[in-house]
Amino acid sequence: MMNKEELAPHVKEISRVLEGKVKEQDIERDLDNYLNVYRMSVEASRRHIVRKYGGDPNALAKGSNKTLAQLGLNEGSVDILARVMSSTTREITVSGTPKTIQSGVLADEAGTTVKFTVWDLTKADLKPDTNYLIRYAYTREWNGQPEVHLGNRVVVEERPQEEITVPEGVSVPPAGGRSAPQTVKVSGLSDGMNNITLTGRILSLKSREVDTPSGKKTMFSGIMADETGRVEFTAWEDFKLREDEVITVSNGYVKGWKGIPRISFGEKADIARPNGEFPSAEELSKEVRRSIESIEQAGGAFDVVTTGTIVDIKKGTGLIFRCPECNRVVLKGVCQIHGKVQQVPDLRIRVIVDDGFAAMTAVMKREVSEALTGVTLKEALDEARETMDTEAISQRFEERLLAKPIELRGTVMSDDYGLSMTVTEAKFATPDVRSEAEALLSKIEVI
Amino acid sequence: MKIREPAWRVFASEFNASTLELKGEGEKAPSYVITPLGAMINRLFIVGILTDMQNLGTDQDPYWRATVSDGTDKFYVYAGKYAPEASAALAKIEPPSFVAVIGKSRTYSSDEGKFYVSVRAEKVLSVDEHIKDNWLLETVRATLRRIDAMEEAREMENPTAESLVNLGFPPVLADGVVRAVEHYQDSDVNRFRGTVLEALEQLLPDRTFDLPLPREMPAGPEEIDDEELDDSDKEEVILKLIEKLDVNKKGAPLSELIKESAKLGISEDELEEINNSLLDKGLIYEPTIGKMKRI
Repeated sequence: MMNKEELAPHVKEISRVLEGKVKEQDIERDLDNYLNVYRMSVEASRRHIVRKYGGDPNALAKGSNKTLAQLGLNEGSVDILARVMSSTTREITVSGTPKTIQSGVLADEAGTTVKFTVWDLTKADLKPDTNYLIRYAYTREWNGQPEVHLGNRVVVEERPQEEITVPEGVSVPPAGGRSAPQTVKVSGLSDGMNNITLTGRILSLKSREVDTPSGKKTMFSGIMADETGRVEFTAWEDFKLREDEVITVSNGYVKGWKGIPRISFGEKADIARPNGEFPSAEELSKEVRRSIESIEQAGGAFDVVTTGTIVDIKKGTGLIFRCPECNRVVLKGVCQIHGKVQQVPDLRIRVIVDDGFAAMTAVMKREVSEALTGVTLKEALDEARETMDTEAISQRFEERLLAKPIELRGTVMSDDYGLSMTVTEAKFATPDVRSEAEALLSKIEVI
Repeated sequence: MKIREPAWRVFASEFNASTLELKGEGEKAPSYVITPLGAMINRLFIVGILTDMQNLGTDQDPYWRATVSDGTDKFYVYAGKYAPEASAALAKIEPPSFVAVIGKSRTYSSDEGKFYVSVRAEKVLSVDEHIKDNWLLETVRATLRRIDAMEEAREMENPTAESLVNLGFPPVLADGVVRAVEHYQDSDVNRFRGTVLEALEQLLPDRTFDLPLPREMPAGPEEIDDEELDDSDKEEVILKLIEKLDVNKKGAPLSELIKESAKLGISEDELEEINNSLLDKGLIYEPTIGKMKRI
């Protein structure tokens, strides 16, 4: 069932083809009837209505007619009715020759905004505060959002001012593909950021040879840190980096790996070596505390400490058996790849840790599980042999873990199911409730 | 993305004051209860005293309704065959005892249009006092953060989730707060400051409290101090009396309690007030109607 909002762009388009001879309410009523009562396709309904009022159905825009919110990340051909909120032109260099392009922001009646780029100014020249019907545009993804591109096939038509009313208070993001340079700390890094400036100390550094289309190249990688955390970096050029030195990278970008932010600097980046105080390598190697919620906003984090409460125990906690070949968990001695194998016992904990604002899965391997629960793999095996039950240990783990506050250290990744930490250290948290309550109380009493 | 819903930390008094629900559209879409402070609750984590339990089902097919008091109000917790683990765990716990519950928010509207919220348990377990204290502390923090967010939002001409996120509030909270500001037009945020103080009082029982007066009230008269001291003395007296009169361990009969307290110069009305206060603080409970028992 299409609602009024979804119908609106089609109503506008039909009205345009009929040159305003028919009232929009009538078109809307007809369209609603065709689509929702007779269940005809959108395309067929549009053509029927245009023909019914004596218009030319071939004048209807082809391609899909979409509101900005409906735009996909990779549309081949879309038609959009929108207002230009801002637009600027600038010079770029394409394969050595200068070229003028235009970029800016579009908005529609729903208040959705999207960035656009015009690649051929002879085909389209979009003026700010003007409404356009843009046909045969395409979209590409940028930082997880669709951007509208107007290429050489595009057809634009200026539309009357009253046709689109953009709601008040729509915030217009800065135009252009490249963000303004911003200075960030390690904890503020998230996937997709570009043109960032970051100052940190290089804690470790290694180089390796890679094959690129233009021959062999040496790239450098390692870990750099500031007082808010540590991050892995990759330098695609030889900036003569040295271990333990403090550098300021400008024009770097963040490319996540499974959500863990990693900073890269290529040929456009600059490296400066600032003077002045900076925490020592030793201080920067200490644990870095982050809330689960802040890790969630960044999409992941490298080697951090966080706290929360265990609110669920997942399957695969306790005594498990692995394939000696591939390390996969086997069921009844049968590996899904290697068939019947001499299974290897292992201990593992998989729990959900939650701080009230965000949750993550935490996975603990044998050493961490043993240290946390005080139950060794050997004891677990002995118990399983005695009771003939490998599940009993999971039950005991649940009793020992559920509802307990816990402090974890590890690296946090993310995927479609949310955050997941590979835990390197785990201990039950024992907050000093009284003194923290006192501190909170004094804060309230001040108010 | 199919992200796990966080387990909100919320006091019963805030949860129970909710009158707004956001129903998920589609089969698997989650629904949320939105509290007056903008907590957008699908899942919650609560710790309190299990004070009462009833099997509304049969012996073969139990359906438990339990009340869990956190000292500010009580949560109604349900567990049946859809949560066999929680149901079995609940059946083994004898009230009164400290319990932790992880569950999903549920709503019910009566024919008269009254809105009720409850918790459908996913996990139930007995816990110790440390877990309870830690929960109180976390929930105080979370509540204060929501109060902050609510007050920021109310000062904005056109509050948006985006502007709250820019102030450092998590997106889930920002979304809930914007909805709460619109729905709970004249709800009193300060009321929940009181809830927070009640909880801190539980954590710091021997500290004398300098309760800040609500902002709009003028500075109070001096005699309040004496009275308050008296009240807590009287509560102590009644608490001891309940213990003394509880001869068969099934609770002190109310009739006896009225008689005995009258001898100490405490009227029936006053006694009722004291009992209510003790019930609220989770120091006593009512095992059966007309009986009071110390926890």
